[in-house]
Amino acid sequence: MSLYYFDHAASAPRRDEVTEAMAPWMHGVVGNPSGSHRAARAARRAVEEARDVVAAFVGAKPGGVIFTGGGTESCTLAVAGAAQAHRRHHERTTLVVSSIEHHAVLDAAHMMARDHASVEVREIGVDTDGVLDLAALYDALDDTVALVSVMCANNETGVLQPLSAVAAAAQARGPGHVMTHSDAVAAAPWLDLVDSTAGIDAVSLCAHKMGGPVNSGALVLRRDVAIDALMPGGGQERGRRGGTVDVAACVGLAAALTCVEAERRRGHEQVRARQARLRAGLSALPGARVTVEAAATLPGTVHVTFADVASDELLFLLDQEGVCASAAASCSSGAAVSSHVLAAMGVAASRARGSLRLSMGHETSDDDVTAVMNAVERALARLAAETGPSR
Amino acid sequence: MSGGVDSSVAAALLLEQGHDVVGATLKLWGGASDSGCCSVADVDDARRVAQTLGIDHHVFNYTEEFENLVVTPFVEGHARATSPNPCIECNRHIKFDLLFDRAERLGFDAVATGHHAQVLRRGEEPVLARGADPAKDQSYVLGYLRAAQLERLLLPIGAMTKDEVRAHAQRVGLRTWDKPDSQDVCFIEASRGRVAFLGSRMALTSADLVDVATGDVVGHTDAAELMTVGQRRGIAPDREGHKRFVARVDLRARRVEVGRLEDVMVTSLRLDADSVTFARSSLEDATEVWAQWSAHGQPRRARLRHGAAWTLELDEPARPVAAGQTVVFYRAGDDTIVEGAALVSS
Repeated sequence: MSLYYFDHAASAPRRDEVTEAMAPWMHGVVGNPSGSHRAARAARRAVEEARDVVAAFVGAKPGGVIFTGGGTESCTLAVAGAAQAHRRHHERTTLVVSSIEHHAVLDAAHMMARDHASVEVREIGVDTDGVLDLAALYDALDDTVALVSVMCANNETGVLQPLSAVAAAAQARGPGHVMTHSDAVAAAPWLDLVDSTAGIDAVSLCAHKMGGPVNSGALVLRRDVAIDALMPGGGQERGRRGGTVDVAACVGLAAALTCVEAERRRGHEQVRARQARLRAGLSALPGARVTVEAAATLPGTVHVTFADVASDELLFLLDQEGVCASAAASCSSGAAVSSHVLAAMGVAASRARGSLRLSMGHETSDDDVTAVMNAVERALARLAAETGPSR
Repeated sequence: MSGGVDSSVAAALLLEQGHDVVGATLKLWGGASDSGCCSVADVDDARRVAQTLGIDHHVFNYTEEFENLVVTPFVEGHARATSPNPCIECNRHIKFDLLFDRAERLGFDAVATGHHAQVLRRGEEPVLARGADPAKDQSYVLGYLRAAQLERLLLPIGAMTKDEVRAHAQRVGLRTWDKPDSQDVCFIEASRGRVAFLGSRMALTSADLVDVATGDVVGHTDAAELMTVGQRRGIAPDREGHKRFVARVDLRARRVEVGRLEDVMVTSLRLDADSVTFARSSLEDATEVWAQWSAHGQPRRARLRHGAAWTLELDEPARPVAAGQTVVFYRAGDDTIVEGAALVSS
């Protein structure tokens, strides 16, 4: 059976360039980059070359790049690390986050509040199109705020967030008072982060959303902000993240970044065209509504909701035809869970139950788009035809 | 596939029988769980068994429906001093209703579970019968199933004993072969118990325990909602050493009536008319049945009456039975065959 892979936002197909770049660091002698002998130096050099690539991709200095074991760790380091550092010197620590952040940010923030009485979380809402409510953000900024974390683009809807306004709002509180962080995991495969995250103090990204290895990411600091290490042991990454640095993972991350940068330079027009075609095709189906009406989104993401349909059932039928897609997040059991992002956008729960996210990459073809549209149409017809008690 | 050994072997047997099988685990409870059913660890077990068998595995999220149709009624039932059986409600509303419908929509011909019970063909219509292992029989929790549902239900392990099930699992290499059976209700942690669960969702009522014979206050409880009519546990015997049982729980009066068996036993049970369900056609007034009102309780001879109200007239007096409990009627001539079920009313 052919595979129609429309779940790039969950994990992107591994690139050959990545595999080739990583291969030498996956067998034989690979020195520990912290050592002093020539094998260690060779490994260290590969890490530092990768670090330069990451720094340039975001527009920061290499010294600001902290390699982490993935995007979640990067976000947790930013949020929890900032909270820990702040609360040691302040009576109150407020973490301001958007209500549509990925759980990597939300859970880290709430964990800090749960464990420390002096830490509080303030969530900022979004409008019906999923764009951050800037007025609410301004209202939330007071002298207790340690951190503002707003993602660059949302992983479920693809909607771009007004980061320059976020950066400006934080700056207005006084230089260096409020740390800003942006989860750019979803955005990195598509956007020029030098531009899109300009003015943001800390940026998170990870490799596997760009066709690199899993558990390989980075937190990139544009400014020397106060962040406690979560995993101090060993002192690697200038004391900010302990543990032997994974050479292959760093090399893989850099290779993935190089690939997406090249794609971006060539332009995303064809992906945009497919996105538009997919949106139009799906919105014509019975009971369909495209979730984002006007806001700018990433090129590869299409999010729709269907009336009177359960995502579990739609995804099952699509899977039977080889279509890989998703709806909201999965919990650790593998079951689809209701989306906090759609809830924040005011999408009715009954509608949100029937959500579908299709996310493409550059290698997704026009035939793939046709196939998935037909598969969705067939699945909907089947679900409508089988009678059952209405819920 | 709950992640237990029974449903694991059920899946294995279906494959051996040549069926085209997909495994599904229901995500029902989002909170803490240590019962051995439905926790994330249990889903992992189900998934691993499916992988071992080479079948697709899906997890279906029914947490909202479970909260609305099982958990909330469980709490509310206790608030009214009744004792609902959440496993029966889950079977009725989720597994054999919503899941059945979903299976049909997705193109499946039947749903199978690992319940210790059997679907037998006796004449035209299928009947539900007890499982071969009397200690593990689960026909009681399936008591409300009707023939139309039984038509599309497969119970592959019903003719096996528990030991045979485990042996089969071990032979096939399923990692659940020696997993302990799940105990108690899936959304109540054994470590914290019902008191903690209900106490976190509602205010509990303290009450005096009053002996019906003497009128004396003989004890006290902090949680009258947790006392079940008919229960002996936690009630001190009287001065002569006779056991005492709960006869009535009156939350408003903050009073739990207890008494010796001869003072509190009942000779008939009132049934909730709306709940009376028959597997096939309605039984005639005064039909003899074997009545069972707990999962592994002793069935008792009785007559099912429906005059102005539905009642069960017991041949022998019995300990009182709590409202909200389910009675399953087994056939008088063959006490392994389920005829129907109903709720006991107050």
